[in-house]
Amino acid sequence: MNTNATATRAPMLTAFDLRSTTGRSSWQLVKRGLINTRRLPSAFFPALAMPIFNMISFSGTFFALTKLPGFPTDRSVNWFMPLGLAMGSAFSGVGLGFSLIRDLENGFFDRLRMSPTSRISLIVGPVLATWIRVTLIAVMVFVAGTLLGARPTAGVMSYICSWVAAIGISTIGAGWGLALAFRFQDMRGAAVMQLSIFLAMFLSTAQVPLNVMTGWLHTAARINPVTNIFRLARAGWVNADDPGHLSWQNAYGGLIAIFVLSALTLVFALRSLQKIDN
Amino acid sequence: MTDVVATPPTLIAEHSIAAAFRQTIALAKRSTLELFRQPALVVPSIIFPLFFAFLGNSSFGRTTSLPGFPKVNSYLQFQLAGTITQGVLFGSVTGAAALATDIENGFFYRLLAAPTARTSILFGRLAGSTLFGALETAVFVLVLLPFGADVSAGLPGIIAMILSGALIALAVGALMSSVALKTGSAEAVQGTFPLLFILLFFSSAFFPRETMSGSYKTIAGINPISHLVEGLRALSLEGFSISATARAILVPLAIAVAALLVANRQLQMRLRAN
Repeated sequence: MNTNATATRAPMLTAFDLRSTTGRSSWQLVKRGLINTRRLPSAFFPALAMPIFNMISFSGTFFALTKLPGFPTDRSVNWFMPLGLAMGSAFSGVGLGFSLIRDLENGFFDRLRMSPTSRISLIVGPVLATWIRVTLIAVMVFVAGTLLGARPTAGVMSYICSWVAAIGISTIGAGWGLALAFRFQDMRGAAVMQLSIFLAMFLSTAQVPLNVMTGWLHTAARINPVTNIFRLARAGWVNADDPGHLSWQNAYGGLIAIFVLSALTLVFALRSLQKIDN
Repeated sequence: MTDVVATPPTLIAEHSIAAAFRQTIALAKRSTLELFRQPALVVPSIIFPLFFAFLGNSSFGRTTSLPGFPKVNSYLQFQLAGTITQGVLFGSVTGAAALATDIENGFFYRLLAAPTARTSILFGRLAGSTLFGALETAVFVLVLLPFGADVSAGLPGIIAMILSGALIALAVGALMSSVALKTGSAEAVQGTFPLLFILLFFSSAFFPRETMSGSYKTIAGINPISHLVEGLRALSLEGFSISATARAILVPLAIAVAALLVANRQLQMRLRAN
């Protein structure tokens, strides 16, 4: 009887232990990521400064865009604040790849691999730390944007949609950065990470809406899934009478794009890690 | 006997000027070859501005009808000057970073130990950056011309633009070399890149000042990059004229002279420190 009970409980215990190990290891890696942020503010500062700089410079330089017929908002900062946040989030995510390359080069990652920790935690932990960093960036960008004149058109949902989009973009960037870091294992991967994220962002509606674009960019942006994420991010910042204003129709495409691209890049990262192990 | 052997002072001066010139040429050749032998360092400063030019043309093509926008055939025609300035700015950082690398790896001090004219070390490096700036300008004009980036000033205008591009490269290269000589660190020179990026975006490189408003317009008005870009843009949009050519050449020339004085002062300070 006892034996039977032990036998039936064993797989459950193993599963529980595994989950627990994954959770504990992930949490330790989250803590490590946050401590590094505090100890090395110079590494975090560009990710914080870039979105604010982007927002200020783009809103000022391209202020006249809002006078174009059909432009979704009459406040340039409303349009460029989500872009700044998205750029900062993407590079925060990709920054994980840079950190990983450093860990691979100095041997710290080999020590992690030799420890009795689940492989998933080596990805989940840093990604969760990135989410916390991105949330900090989002708060700073929202404050700076408000001071510059950004005004939500859908109340608190405006902020939530932009934050969800930022978290999504950072996850995609993190998955992509980690995967390339595992593949290249040196700084060659950094250039590919930055360039590819940069192209994915700018070949979308990052700068202007689809109805303002002309030529090849219109075609590229229409099929680029990042366009859907920008639609979600800006849904609460465009004029209330604009067709792109917050609605389920303007949100679900972005959510699907985030889910699918995050899943693909994270699986790619996990496969690349397994390839190192093998 | 002593009188017979001694070389007249004027002859020594002529000889040293000729030697300094030869050394500058030799070091300029070295710095130019160095740029071409490491395409990974210089290609981005050509590819990225071209990418932004085409991206901008598709993104902002419809803005040319906005009030305050100058009369242009296409956004690309307006953007040409911004593209040249952007490429030359980024290219010049590479040249200055190479000077800092020379200091880091000791080549600079080997030149000091040799009977080399001190100014040749600086001017030789800057000559390479200047030549690369001229080449970049020619590439941007030739690549963008078939896509609608017309130069109203024609061939004389293109020649003036190439000269202007070279002077901008000299001016920025001299400023960045000051940083290299002051710090002796390639990382510090690369660290100034975001500053250039900020200066570029807070200027009229991508959009005319007339369409801006408030404090942003004021900042763009006092930003020297705006004046560099607008000098080049005058040749591209207004046609060939003495005033347009003077703006395109005299503004970067004035900045280059001031920057060279600063760079030379930093060189003298580094020499004194050693």
